[in-house]
Amino acid sequence: MPEIKPRIGVFVCHCGKNIAGTVDVAKLAEAASRFPGVVYATHYEYMCSDPGQALLKRAIKEHRLSGVVVAACSPTMHEETFRKAAEEAGLNPYLVEIANIREQVSWVHSGPKATEKAVRVTRAVVEKVWGDRPLEPTEIGVVRRALVVGGGIAGIQAALDIANAGFEVLLVERSPSIGGHMAQLSETFPTLDCSQCILTPKMVEVSRHPKIRILAYSELEEVSGFVGNYRVRIRKKPTYVDPAKCNLCGECAKVCPVRVPNEFDRGLSLRSAIYIPFPQAIPSTYTLDAENCLGIVPLRCGKCAEVCEAKAIDFDMQEEILEEEVGAIVLATGYELYPKEAMAEYGYGTVPDVIDGLEFERLLSASGPTRGEIRRPSDGKIPKEVVFVQCSGSRDPEHHKPYCSKICCMYTAKHALLYRHAVPAGQAYVFYIDIRAGGKDYEEFVNRAMEEERILYIRGKVAKVFREGEKVVVWGVDTLTGKRVEVRADLVVLAQAVVPSPGTEELARKLRVACGGEGFLKEAHPKLRPLEALTAGIFLAGAAQGPKDIPESVAQASGAAAKVVALLSRPKLEHPPEVAEVDEELCSGCGICAPQCPYGAITVDEVAHVNEILCEGCGTCVAACPSGAMSFRNVGDEQVLRMVRAALEVEGAGV
Amino acid sequence: MKLAVYWTGSCGGCDVSFLELGMGLLEVLSRVEIVFWPALVDAKRRDLERLPARSVDVTLVNGVIRTAENKEMVEILREKSKFLGAYGACAHLGGIPALANQVNGVTEIVFGPGFRPGAPLGEAAEDAPPELLPEALSLDEVVPVDFVVPGCPPPAGLIARFFEAAFAEAISPGRIFAGEKALCEECPRTREDRRLTRIVRPHEVQPDPEKCLLDQGIICLGPVTRAGCGAACPKGGMPCTGCLGPTPKAGDPALAMLSALASLVRAGEEGESAFPEENKILDSLVDPIGTLYKYSFAKYGRPLLKLARKRQEVRA
Repeated sequence: MPEIKPRIGVFVCHCGKNIAGTVDVAKLAEAASRFPGVVYATHYEYMCSDPGQALLKRAIKEHRLSGVVVAACSPTMHEETFRKAAEEAGLNPYLVEIANIREQVSWVHSGPKATEKAVRVTRAVVEKVWGDRPLEPTEIGVVRRALVVGGGIAGIQAALDIANAGFEVLLVERSPSIGGHMAQLSETFPTLDCSQCILTPKMVEVSRHPKIRILAYSELEEVSGFVGNYRVRIRKKPTYVDPAKCNLCGECAKVCPVRVPNEFDRGLSLRSAIYIPFPQAIPSTYTLDAENCLGIVPLRCGKCAEVCEAKAIDFDMQEEILEEEVGAIVLATGYELYPKEAMAEYGYGTVPDVIDGLEFERLLSASGPTRGEIRRPSDGKIPKEVVFVQCSGSRDPEHHKPYCSKICCMYTAKHALLYRHAVPAGQAYVFYIDIRAGGKDYEEFVNRAMEEERILYIRGKVAKVFREGEKVVVWGVDTLTGKRVEVRADLVVLAQAVVPSPGTEELARKLRVACGGEGFLKEAHPKLRPLEALTAGIFLAGAAQGPKDIPESVAQASGAAAKVVALLSRPKLEHPPEVAEVDEELCSGCGICAPQCPYGAITVDEVAHVNEILCEGCGTCVAACPSGAMSFRNVGDEQVLRMVRAALEVEGAGV
Repeated sequence: MKLAVYWTGSCGGCDVSFLELGMGLLEVLSRVEIVFWPALVDAKRRDLERLPARSVDVTLVNGVIRTAENKEMVEILREKSKFLGAYGACAHLGGIPALANQVNGVTEIVFGPGFRPGAPLGEAAEDAPPELLPEALSLDEVVPVDFVVPGCPPPAGLIARFFEAAFAEAISPGRIFAGEKALCEECPRTREDRRLTRIVRPHEVQPDPEKCLLDQGIICLGPVTRAGCGAACPKGGMPCTGCLGPTPKAGDPALAMLSALASLVRAGEEGESAFPEENKILDSLVDPIGTLYKYSFAKYGRPLLKLARKRQEVRA
């Protein structure tokens, strides 16, 4: 390759005292001006400032620079800043490189050696620019539809926001109805609105929205592709009821001989095999639960079909596999409660009158098994004394979950308060470690529960809960007085820890999305990118990412939806061109590279192919490739060797 | 076409390899005038010296440069030839004889202590044996080489390809008469599970006739070696040992292969806890230099030797 003598400019940044306090920047610029290929070198107080960038742009034009090295902070900080500035001045941005003399030099060294190292680092990067080729970002189209996984309040909100922006949405929900846990709740803190009353209008809006397609009773099977171009396989289980024909008369459920625990009532009531989870369910139809039905195969029962006047029941309905293309995916798979069965100290879930928070919600709910009257499960009596146990399974790194489940303080206060309203003569106790009521009007709500509602808050942990006759005995300690406390209660409500819904990790694996140690979906950055996964085009909403209450879930869902809309609105997506590439003239198709790729970007037929959109430029395949056919754009072997030689050259330091 | 063929440190296989051309050899012989080929026609050094400079159209040298005499002879040949090529793996990369470079003072080991290169071996010797060079060298380390016909020995197809180009007077400088791609391109074996879970030597297993040998744990240098032989060894159930030399951009073939092997033992694994087991897999590679540098130690082994000697010095 004929080597045209480059015209490289070197710009040394003082970064205030950050660099200039350690590295002799004037000396560095002076040494740089004598590097081979360098035609201009200078130093400036803050290169990233507007005047600093203007200096860069002016120099590119005046000195007809063919490459630029900015000796400054880490490329993760300002590489893009300087590349954009260079582009504005007419220089291909990929001919701009950063020599990191802050994180790798001035912050970690001192004395004259620091300047020498800065010279060597800068010299090496000048060599790299010498070998850089101008590159253009890869462009790809965007499929203008989104997939939302999970039909709880977060999924509903995200779907509505995306659809209202004009994009099609597929809303996949694993249970027969959307609505999620919010549909199970009685009233919501701190305003005490009826949960269903505020949720169902949204559910109806989803069902009527021309841009939203609800795929209930369905699960995401497989995902392939990449941002803007995902291909998803969805398994839609048969409901055996044609939703278009079903008129919700309910005759089928009446004649069904089967009775199984009702999931929607958390097992506190029974349902038939053909059922509707709750009257306002969306899609508005009965579902036949094949697992419990007597009649699917072989046809032994069929009573429901006999009474169905609408002829909506179809025993021959088959499972469907849908293949769809979407540009973005929102994961809103929600939470579940940590099982009572894991609580050895509270009776392993064997005491009928020890229930969890969601079960209590069903007892409180007007549509629940007791029609809103608080009656305990064992004998249906109205409990006179109720103990609420906070942090049950939370904040207990030794035995259970180490984290705070965040919503329990508030819903326990609500539970106790609603109980007091329902049973004015009753006594409510709340055992707590701390009260964490950080939210708008939350603290006031807890104070109201404590002061106005005469709820007895006891600071301390419950050591043991056990049954004694008709009573449930609660042993605890009041850590404020240091005294042992024993309450002979009628009902105990455990504020169980919030955990990711079952299958979250499996789903995350399919999508190449990370899960944190506790199994919640991991955001790309805990502070600056909380709405998205590290995999481009996948966004997070609601409690799947961590314990959250309704307003937070809705806010995150709207935020994620805004990100989706921003993505789907772009005419084209760009991907940085600094990726691996195959020299097809050299590649023998040995296939050693493909299994190395953590992004699944390599396919091999006669030769290897790199999907430039999926490739994140890690370089693993380049190291693995035995024949040298795989290379990394602008980080070629020759470039790296030149950099190493330049960095190690004894005489080259120039100071 | 005036042809010279000469052997330096060679086993003789390269001279025999021309017979692989079969009937094609008759065609070749009818078109060449052999001016110097000690294996076929009696001729002495002085006969060669008498030839005018650049009077030989094409010279093929096989064998490693091991003695002072080898060096002098190829220097004379260079002067007398228009085109001089390395024929076979020894002239190309040093070949198997260059593995001796691993050992310091190899002559003392072979001939006993006190041996001085160049000294007569005994009273009966008429001439002193030629002085041994301190290291075995590839041909291009001694004289400029115009082209290479690689292999151990060169396969018939490549020899034919060379003569075709030579008769057409179309030998482009620097040409290596072999494929640009790696051997896997020609190999009919199927590659499925690209993962190395163990390393075995060919005699230890009965390899599956269909599957890639590397996938079966047999170290096959196919991925790093030029195509051109039709994957003769892998087709016969033996791994490629790299005789056609590395592909154009592989660089040091042993390092390239080692890097690939290291990648293959780790494929699909993450986390540091996975490393010790994987290191054990690579530790079970017997004779890494003999395996990975089998033919290329003269050409590529020098930096490694330098490093090893430096380390010895540091230790001493």
